[in-house]
Order: sequence, then C-alpha cells, then structure tokens
Amino acid sequence: MTSYIRNPLTLVWALLTIVTVVSWLTARGGGSAHIVNVTVTLVVLLIAAVKTQLVIWHFMEVRFAPRWLKLTTGGWLVGLVALLLGFYFAGL
Amino acid sequence: MTNVADPDIRDTGRIAHPRNHLPGESSMWFFVIGDLLIFGVYFIGYVYYRGLDPDLFLQSQARLNLDIGAINTVILLTSSLFVALGTSAARNGKVPEAIRLFGLAFAFGVAFPVMKAFEYIPEVTAGLTPGTNLFFMYYYVMTGLHLCHVTLGLVILGFVIRSLRITVKPRMSFVESAATYWHMVDLLWILLFALLYLMR
Repeated sequence: MTSYIRNPLTLVWALLTIVTVVSWLTARGGGSAHIVNVTVTLVVLLIAAVKTQLVIWHFMEVRFAPRWLKLTTGGWLVGLVALLLGFYFAGL
Repeated sequence: MTNVADPDIRDTGRIAHPRNHLPGESSMWFFVIGDLLIFGVYFIGYVYYRGLDPDLFLQSQARLNLDIGAINTVILLTSSLFVALGTSAARNGKVPEAIRLFGLAFAFGVAFPVMKAFEYIPEVTAGLTPGTNLFFMYYYVMTGLHLCHVTLGLVILGFVIRSLRITVKPRMSFVESAATYWHMVDLLWILLFALLYLMR
C-alpha cells in the first residue's frame, strides 16, 4: 500500500485530480454560464493540455519511447491547442 | 541495455525501463495516432462552429451536468492509474498484483458508462437530443464515439485480466498495447470535458 502511495505514478494521478478540481471550480465560479469568459476558457484549456501531456508522458510511457513518438504526440497536442485557441479567439 | 544510474530511465517499478522502448505493438500506436487525429478534427470543428454561434453553444452547455462530467474525469484518471500500476506490476513479474490492479481499473472503467447513463437519461427525457441543435449534435456524437471507445477498452482490459490469469510470464507487448489504448480513452475524455463542459 505504502509503495503505491509513494509511486511516482500515484503522484501524477494526484496532480491530475487536483487540476481537474481546479478546472471544475474555475468553471463553476466563472460568473454566468451564459456569458463568454476568456479567462475561464484559457485556464481550462491550458489545464487540459497539461493533463493530456502528463497522461501521454507518464501513463502512456512516451517519456521512454523513441524520439519520433515524442515528437508526434507533442506535435499533435501543440497543433491541436494552437488551432483550438485560434478558432476560439477568431469566433469572439 | 539499461542504465539504472540514469535518472531518466528509472521506472516506477523495480525493473529499469529501457530507453527508446515503444510501449506495446507499433500497430496499436498507429491506431492511437489515427484516432487522436480524427478526434482532433472533431474538436476543431466544434470550436469553429461554437465561434459562429457562441450564445447557442453557451446556453446549451449550461444544461449539461458539470458535476457528473467532473466525476467521470476523476473516474477515468483513477482507472488509468490502476492500469499504469498494473502494467508496472506485470513488468516486474508480480502477476497476482497485476490482476488485482487491472481488476480495479476495470471496476472504475465500468463506473464511467454507468455515470454517463445517469447523465444521458435526464437529458434525453428533457428533450435534449442530437436533433436539438448543433451543440447537442456535437455533444452526442463526440461523447457517443468516446463511449464506444470506453466499451472496447473494457473488453480489452477483460482480455488482459484473462491473459494474466492463464500465464506465469505475461506477454508485455499485449499488456502495454492495452494500457496505451486505455490511456488514450482517458486523454480524449480530458479534452472532451474541457471543450464540452468547461470552456466559456
């Protein structure tokens, strides 16, 4: 049991859970749900990007993987977030 | 060759993880990357159409159950943790421990569609269907496709548990491929949760 608690994977999970709660509270406390809120959007999308990278890097073990996989997954995430933010701001 | 003195290759278990190791079969990675690209197109389409009618999307989004969305995120994260710990245990030859951990991952995984049913049923009975508007079309298509992935993932986790039960020395490429798929299901939900429930 102690070995699980001290396991780096459990620490990654704890961090992922904490930032999920932060996102949840940010969305809940971000004023009216019917109004565009750039700050809330930036916070929740950047937290989602960090969470995604943590899952890819630690849970999917891409940190040990060949360079091509690190570049492919990293390129996908950076490209996706850039396009999401680009279309979001274009639509404001 | 492994070098345990290198901090970059310390594994979570006792066996050092080799550098340049592709976790699982390469075919699984091609499938995962293809899936990430397909979902990426859906995500970008969703944000594009959201920008054309932000009021409709925000009003529709406000009718979703944010709490169930967040609970389901934690459920999948926890399931993913057990899969990662189970993979590490299998790699270290601790088969009974790996079976227990994959069993816990499966149990948390099953909780996801159960919670999703508690979310879908009141929405559908309130008249919110894919035909309601573009937001709900995206909502049902993306979460529905994701739910298909969860279901397939649960079947794969079941096969992992079965294979661990009948063997003394687990076939790690299969365990790692299954784990890779399950973590992909987790990360897609992380993005879906942010896009459908959280962003404003």
